Amino acid sequence: MTRVLDSVVVVGGCVAGVSAADTLRTEGFEGAITVVGDEPHTAYSRPALSKGVLRGEQDSVSVRLPRLDSSVEVRTSTRAVALDTDRRIVTVEHDGRREAVAFGGLVIATGVRARRLAAVERPDEFVVRDLDHSVALAAALRGASSVVIVGGGFLALELASSIRGMGLAVTVVHTLPPLSRHLGAELACLVVDTARAVGVRFVATSPGARALEGDACGVRLPNGAVVTSDVLVSAIGDQPNVEWLAGSGLSCNGPLEVTADGIVRPGIVAAGDVTSTRTASGSVERTPHWHSAIVQGRVAARALLGLAAPATPTPYFWTECFGMDIKVTGRIPRWVEPTALEGSLQQREAVLQWRGPDGVPVAAATVNRRMPLVKLSRLARPEFTEVTR
Amino acid sequence: MSQGILRIQLDRARCEGHGVCEEAAPRVYRLDDEGVLEILLDPVPEEFEALAESGARLCPVAALRTVRLG
Repeated sequence: MTRVLDSVVVVGGCVAGVSAADTLRTEGFEGAITVVGDEPHTAYSRPALSKGVLRGEQDSVSVRLPRLDSSVEVRTSTRAVALDTDRRIVTVEHDGRREAVAFGGLVIATGVRARRLAAVERPDEFVVRDLDHSVALAAALRGASSVVIVGGGFLALELASSIRGMGLAVTVVHTLPPLSRHLGAELACLVVDTARAVGVRFVATSPGARALEGDACGVRLPNGAVVTSDVLVSAIGDQPNVEWLAGSGLSCNGPLEVTADGIVRPGIVAAGDVTSTRTASGSVERTPHWHSAIVQGRVAARALLGLAAPATPTPYFWTECFGMDIKVTGRIPRWVEPTALEGSLQQREAVLQWRGPDGVPVAAATVNRRMPLVKLSRLARPEFTEVTR
Repeated sequence: MSQGILRIQLDRARCEGHGVCEEAAPRVYRLDDEGVLEILLDPVPEEFEALAESGARLCPVAALRTVRLG
């Protein structure tokens, strides 16, 4: 027997949840939609947090996404605390008061939170995940002259770029070569060299850096060396917000595994950073990017409505730092050198393509070049081998 | 039923050509070969309003706004 879907609750108010709510409406779902998010803000552009917001060029209003259709109920400062999959009830908490919200279909898009060096949250260790974090860090930077950033990913380098651009001394403490996991050695080196040229200091360490205790600010490395600064920022990855699923029968140990259609179990789907999928080879894979969150929200909403998932697009992400605007589709293999289809890395302007061991394109990137996503994606897809060869 | 006409406002200085809007609503938004965004339908006909709004909403750099006039 098929139950008619009459109401959907979306847990998570940022872009994956917004995308799901939007898709439900554009696909013709006319039932009630409630979006609950624990932040005090409605959805906003997260990519701006390490850039425009931190530099004070964009305020908390200008980064807000346009509101959802007025037929969608959006509740802010409302946290989901429990899920009963049998009775189809989400318990939410707002202002200390709990309320049971019944649902026909559920979208889980609770995202992730930033990991921290210190076991307990402390006011002098900054992270940048939410709008309030970015605003708080911007305020702390005003009276500061030096910053230590722990981490070697996109966020760490974008923060380093923004903060160095504001005139502060910046030290990046990292374990793996910065960005190499995402951009491949050549492109990652170009970014790091450019950062060094404008005075960013890089300190490589084995894992296990700790925040300094007491009044001192900075980190102690496993080899005993100490790097001090006025402000400490951790950009060391994230952990999924799944604790509220304890007791629900759904996994609350690590990211929530979904099918390619975003399905967790019948009537329950998930999207965005909180999710992972299993690849054909059996490994668990995450694509915690803005664009993936949108696509996954769309796919999950369609699955709830019983509609087929559109073809999975190649992953897409971008970064802007140290005067370089880099856009990537596909997954850059670590040990393969890219071919420059146009321009060159030396000129800091290029269209790059990576091929797998069998010569089939697997990833493509632009550096300081504009190219529509559709066109760029084509360069990263095997079926276009002939065209691009 | 929505009242008035829906128009799209694009902040060109902010647009980086990601093309998320185009993906959401290809009848409304189109990136040309240089990655420059063209708005194909403005004012937006009623049947494309929801899609146009969705495309604007998902812009990663918040370069698009929709406004209802009249």
